[in-house]
Amino acid sequence: MKSLLDSIKGPWFIAVYTWREGLRRKTLVGFLILSLLVIFGATFMTSFINQATVGDVSTDMDLKLIKDICVTTISIFGILITIFISASVVPTEVENRVIYTVLSKPVRRFQYLFGKFLGVQLIIIMNLCLMGGLFFIALYIKQQILPTLLLWSVFLTYFEFLIVSALTFAIACASSSSVLPTIAGLFIYITGSLTEYLKDVYNRSGQTGEWLDSIIGYIAYILWNVLPNLQRFSLKTQIINSQPNDPPTDVLIPQLVLYGLIYAVCGYILAYWIFRKREV
Amino acid sequence: MNSNHDPVIKTENLTKVYDTGFRGEQVSALKNLNLEVYPSEIFGYLGPNGSGKTTTIKLLLGLIFPTSGSIQIMGTTDIYSAYVKKNIGYLPEGSYYPDFLRGEEILRFYGQLYGLTGKELYKRIDEVLELVNMTHARRRMLKGYSKGMRQRIGLAQALISNPQILILDEPTTGLDPIARKDIRDILSRLRDEGKTLLISSHELLEVEMISNRVGILYEGILRVSGTLEELLTSKDRIVEFANAKNGVVQEIKDKGGEVVDQVNDKVYLKVRNDEELYNAIELGKSVGLQLIKITPRRETLEELFVNVIDLAKKERSS
Repeated sequence: MKSLLDSIKGPWFIAVYTWREGLRRKTLVGFLILSLLVIFGATFMTSFINQATVGDVSTDMDLKLIKDICVTTISIFGILITIFISASVVPTEVENRVIYTVLSKPVRRFQYLFGKFLGVQLIIIMNLCLMGGLFFIALYIKQQILPTLLLWSVFLTYFEFLIVSALTFAIACASSSSVLPTIAGLFIYITGSLTEYLKDVYNRSGQTGEWLDSIIGYIAYILWNVLPNLQRFSLKTQIINSQPNDPPTDVLIPQLVLYGLIYAVCGYILAYWIFRKREV
Repeated sequence: MNSNHDPVIKTENLTKVYDTGFRGEQVSALKNLNLEVYPSEIFGYLGPNGSGKTTTIKLLLGLIFPTSGSIQIMGTTDIYSAYVKKNIGYLPEGSYYPDFLRGEEILRFYGQLYGLTGKELYKRIDEVLELVNMTHARRRMLKGYSKGMRQRIGLAQALISNPQILILDEPTTGLDPIARKDIRDILSRLRDEGKTLLISSHELLEVEMISNRVGILYEGILRVSGTLEELLTSKDRIVEFANAKNGVVQEIKDKGGEVVDQVNDKVYLKVRNDEELYNAIELGKSVGLQLIKITPRRETLEELFVNVIDLAKKERSS
């Protein structure tokens, strides 16, 4: 039990260090401030529109606008922060040689990686809490109803970010700069959000009978099966169109959590497999 | 685990080859290195840039992996074990520490990685800050530190677990003379306390002042290794004469004498053996000089270094 605790302590200290360091990154803080300004600004702007219009229809549109802007802001800035931090924590430490002093201590490589990954997750969770919290307050002020649906949305968004973070982190472990993993992270997010289209491509392939058409169909089929389907985590449509305290529908939350965790574990194992023999 | 006479660091035929390109090109950074560092000594690990010093250090720390050969630290080949890691402190060259942390926070972080906690950790932080003379700046952010202060905090983090072995990569490079002397004094004190230090450096004078043994590496091969007494002993002697008048130096040179220096009325001649010594004394008498003294002359580390590198270059070209 003591040795288990000892083996967890090291990663935890590294995670806290990573989190504290992350809070000082200008790009990250810039994204966070911008996102908070957009969420705050959207509330202010729609209040202004509300004064110029009359009736339930405009109020409804006003709320839909707030919700649309805020959910989109959380998604866009959240994923940018996630990709940026996941792509840079390991390459930056290799570049500035902090990794030498850490790995020369009694810290195994899997512990180091686990600590860095945990630190990245702390940053992502903190950002989501800040952005989601502000949105939560704005919605509550507007409707005087606790927006529990938003909490479910933020919760699922975290698992969406977790998947992108884990896969980007794995690629970053093979890279000496953060540029390539950042591009890869964006690719994962974009294709992960479009996997339904990959399924369409597969379903429509083979109709012309040409070999190229079939190959594209097979590639689409493989990508559809391998890449995570990030659309499954989105409650955006429901948030915009339903009451704030409605329960989430059309989603199986435990399965989605498991789905996110499986991808995250695979990402971490891939990261360790790459990093265990990496020469730093 | 190992006795006082056994080396605490030992490598046998340690070789490292880097793959440098997609076409399978390879570069040998280290060739069959046989290195031994003994307890309670300062070993100066010397060599020009790209000679393989940092590669050796990274191999000892398990940051990179050997192509062939073996490493033994404190009697074990399991250099990744907690036992070995807890007994090695490392100061990398030009190491970076985050500006947003205070001096003592850096030490707390590294101490925690060694498993130190609570009172034991804080006691150790106090001790190492005292040792590197940084107690006054412990609560200051690193962004307010000078280069010398950063280096001392770096040394403190290497010492936080009270390790038996210290591996220091260029510990005094880029520091002003006062900071260099401070670091040098600390290193000598650590050696006197029984710690073993492996210092990689370009600063030959610094190394000569504090090292017990040195090794000179060039193109991945350890060219010489031994105590300073063994390596720097020379049969050269300096014959000092007085009463030198104008033009006497030229006269001596014309008669085949090797003048190495002239200060006021004193002239210094270098001789390599007894025959040259007798000839120099006769030569001095013949030009009206008065013999003052004969002293053996020790080669400097810089001379040894240059000679070893020149010899290696000649061997390669032939």
